[in-house]
Amino acid sequence: MIIPGVVLRLRALFRREATEARLDEEMRYHLELETDKNLRLGMSRESARRQARLDFGGVESMKEDQRDARGTRPLEDAVADVRYALRVLRRNPVLTGAAMLTLALGVGANTAIFSVVNAVILRPLPFPHSERLVMLSEDNAEKGWRRAVAAPANYLDWRERVKAFEDVAAYTGGGGATLSGAGDARQLRVRNVTGNYFSVLGVDAELGRTLRDAETWQRGPGTAVISHRLYQDALGGNPAALGRTIMLDGAPTEVVGVMPASFSFAADSVDVWQPMGWDADSRSQVFFRRAHWLRVVARLKPGVTPAAADAEFQTIVGQLQREFPLTNRVMGADLVPLQEFLIGDLRVPLLILQGAVGLLLLIACANVGNLLLAQAVGREREVSLRLALGARRERVVRQALTESLVLSLLGGAAGFALGWWGTRALAALQPTGMLPVKSVPMDLRVLACVTLITTLTGLLFGIAPAMWSASRVPAEVLKEGGKGGSVGSRSRRWTDLLVVGEIALALVLTVGAGLLVRSFYRLQRVDPGLEPHGVMAIGIRLPAGYDRTARQVQFFTALRERVSALPGVESAAEGLVAPFGGSSFTSDFHVAGRAPDDYGTEVMRDYVTPGYFSTLRVPLRAGRFFTDADREGAEPVVIINEGMALQHFRGGNPVGQRITFDKFPDSTSVWRTIVGVVGDVRQRGLALTPQVAAFEAFGQQSNSYMTLLVRARGDAGEVLPALRRVLAELDPSIAFAEATSLDALVARSIARQRYIMTLLLVFAATGLLLSVMGVYGVMAQMARRRSREMGIRIALGAGVAQVQWLVVRHGLRLVAGGLGLGLLGSFAATQSIRSLLYEVAPADPLTFVTVSILLALTALLASWLPAARASLTNPAATLRDE
Amino acid sequence: MPPKPTDVLRGTLDLLVLKTLTLDAMHGWGISQRIQQFSRGVLDVNQGSLYPALQRLELKGWIDSEWRPSDNNRRARYYRLTAAGRRALSTETNDWRRYVEAVEWILETA
Repeated sequence: MIIPGVVLRLRALFRREATEARLDEEMRYHLELETDKNLRLGMSRESARRQARLDFGGVESMKEDQRDARGTRPLEDAVADVRYALRVLRRNPVLTGAAMLTLALGVGANTAIFSVVNAVILRPLPFPHSERLVMLSEDNAEKGWRRAVAAPANYLDWRERVKAFEDVAAYTGGGGATLSGAGDARQLRVRNVTGNYFSVLGVDAELGRTLRDAETWQRGPGTAVISHRLYQDALGGNPAALGRTIMLDGAPTEVVGVMPASFSFAADSVDVWQPMGWDADSRSQVFFRRAHWLRVVARLKPGVTPAAADAEFQTIVGQLQREFPLTNRVMGADLVPLQEFLIGDLRVPLLILQGAVGLLLLIACANVGNLLLAQAVGREREVSLRLALGARRERVVRQALTESLVLSLLGGAAGFALGWWGTRALAALQPTGMLPVKSVPMDLRVLACVTLITTLTGLLFGIAPAMWSASRVPAEVLKEGGKGGSVGSRSRRWTDLLVVGEIALALVLTVGAGLLVRSFYRLQRVDPGLEPHGVMAIGIRLPAGYDRTARQVQFFTALRERVSALPGVESAAEGLVAPFGGSSFTSDFHVAGRAPDDYGTEVMRDYVTPGYFSTLRVPLRAGRFFTDADREGAEPVVIINEGMALQHFRGGNPVGQRITFDKFPDSTSVWRTIVGVVGDVRQRGLALTPQVAAFEAFGQQSNSYMTLLVRARGDAGEVLPALRRVLAELDPSIAFAEATSLDALVARSIARQRYIMTLLLVFAATGLLLSVMGVYGVMAQMARRRSREMGIRIALGAGVAQVQWLVVRHGLRLVAGGLGLGLLGSFAATQSIRSLLYEVAPADPLTFVTVSILLALTALLASWLPAARASLTNPAATLRDE
Repeated sequence: MPPKPTDVLRGTLDLLVLKTLTLDAMHGWGISQRIQQFSRGVLDVNQGSLYPALQRLELKGWIDSEWRPSDNNRRARYYRLTAAGRRALSTETNDWRRYVEAVEWILETA
């Protein structure tokens, strides 16, 4: 009999009016018959009717009972509660507005950060069975490598020997190429991949085909798969482009496929994928195992866990160590799920930001809770009356909770809108490439999380007022009577508790932000080791025609000389990569005359032209800079940095000594004489210590890709058109890549720290503002309550300051409590941001003291203002008011 | 002064209503009168609880109802026992008997 029951219940709910009408009609009929009966018993018409009604009992209460019997009571109550709540909220637009704004800030911040956390950490990667993709990297304790790029020979052995892998692909980091023959020459981002790269990822081409396994080893006329973007931009989106030959760095290359627009590996923006094109002979050569430049991604066989695969993988890595002691003796390897690899060291800052917005939400809750509590106190007579008239306590509590839930849902909706906007802003303002995802979508999980947060929020801030309402003894409240009668001390305790909690949370947030600010300030003041201001860096890639050293040297020398002669240019020079533009490459080295096992590892190498150090204003510590005389045929020379001099020539003068870039020198080793020592440059970024570095003279070591560094006299941007002209005159087929100022490169090296600091600062400032508003609200209430007392005291001759102290004293107690609690919390919480701090201790006393004082002063000001206002009102007026 | 009629005990009202309806379909007022009559005036149905009881029984599917013209040619809502109601009546009656026996036994022996 369940079904008819449900039907009746539903019908009753939806056709409430009809059901009530039926009830009315039945009742009327009953009353008529009863009246008739009474008439027959000889009553007057009037008393017959009256008696019938009396016998029937309370009509309305019967209707209530009837509704109970219908089983829709809870729903009808809920609807009524919501209606009532909306009415109450509309009646207090200021309070509702303040509460909604507060909630919107809290929920909005949470929505935005959670969207990012969701996109980066929770959402699976956009590849089929992405849980089976793992990243393989090399570890080397001697060189300090962790999750480093792998040597091709190691990659090939891993692929062939580890049974747990279905297939293994490799790709290079960002490379570039010049596209010519299709309008203006332009720089493209190229990634060299093994032929199975796309099949390992499990993606197919949108047009044509992806690469083939065999193409990994094919030299000669190249093939390429291009991005949807390049297909649209350079090939006009015409399917006839398939099979067309384009010129990449002057080499003809056939376009065999176009990837879909949605394809992206870790948010890269590659234009062209080309097969490795390795020489089959290379496999057996030492450099194939000694040089490391591959990222390796493997797909596990179905059913194989990463742990099981890793166990087998480590066995193979051990075998390779024994088989190839020269190169692999200390070479370890690491297997991690691809997603974990991509998240990398982003996990900590993301979780910290999530924690910070969580605190912010709690502060918002406390604030809104206090607002509602104040309102509930103002309505205590109404509630008491309802209780006295027989309303059940649970009903009153439910009413209060409904009100807070309605408010939280409204605030949550506003917060979601704010969060939607915030998410877009977060993604748009992120430092380039920080988030390893192409987009930050607001998916169902985000929506569900926000709904959950919102509901919990409503319950959280609703509990205090609801509990308070329910705890009231009606008789007492009604007895208290009188206008604004004394308010129960219980509500004040709740309020005080919330304020103390709020101050404590705000302190934790602000201390955290303060530490990051201090850390960032330190970072910014780090000496980069050169003078970046006014220097532009322009990467220049020579096309295929320039493969001989002489031609490369000739071209770059001519370029440097002509650019130096331009008006507005102070000096120009060239190096492999721009400072702060990343590391070039590293190698081992050996100092002449040392024991065979006394070698150095990980020296960063660079080829630089004369004028390089003076253009960048890198100081000379000993010896000399390069000159034009350091050319091919002359004595091979090298300049080392101070770090290398200190670390490897302790106590001696390195100038005049000879080194070679071989770990175990033999007869083929080239020995270079150290001619100078220069200052250290923080090549890899301000936050990282300078590397040991050695510079060779570009005249003796050339390359087809160099970075032109130009120091301008005035505005660096003004010399750009002239630079462009010089380049076009030298060779029109060379693309002019984007020019970047060194200032921007320096800033970019700490952009992530700046971004995280800024976000935390914004959240902390919001939290601080909310909590100070909370203090102000509570103190204003208190001042209002005591304005009569203050008036009397002033009338009796007390000083204004003395009277204000009455209120401020209370504020002081709250602030002290909040600070005490907050300091304890901060000591615990700031440990979690240790890894984000640069040369600042998590318990940095200066930050703790400064932030505490700042918070205390603001909070005290917020409690003094209402006190001051109350004490200045005319005592007579206050008393008359009563 | 005649003894004041006792209110029908909560819980037994359902049983009485079901019993009353075994004979014929009836409207609310009729049911209340019939119970009073049958009990020779001892039991007085609190009319305020009669209608909720009717709704409850209908919800359980033990009775159903329809509008029908009454004796005085007005529209009245008539309630009728369903098959399920008939079955329920027999179990409820047994329960009631056991209850009464138990109470009596206690009153006599305790």
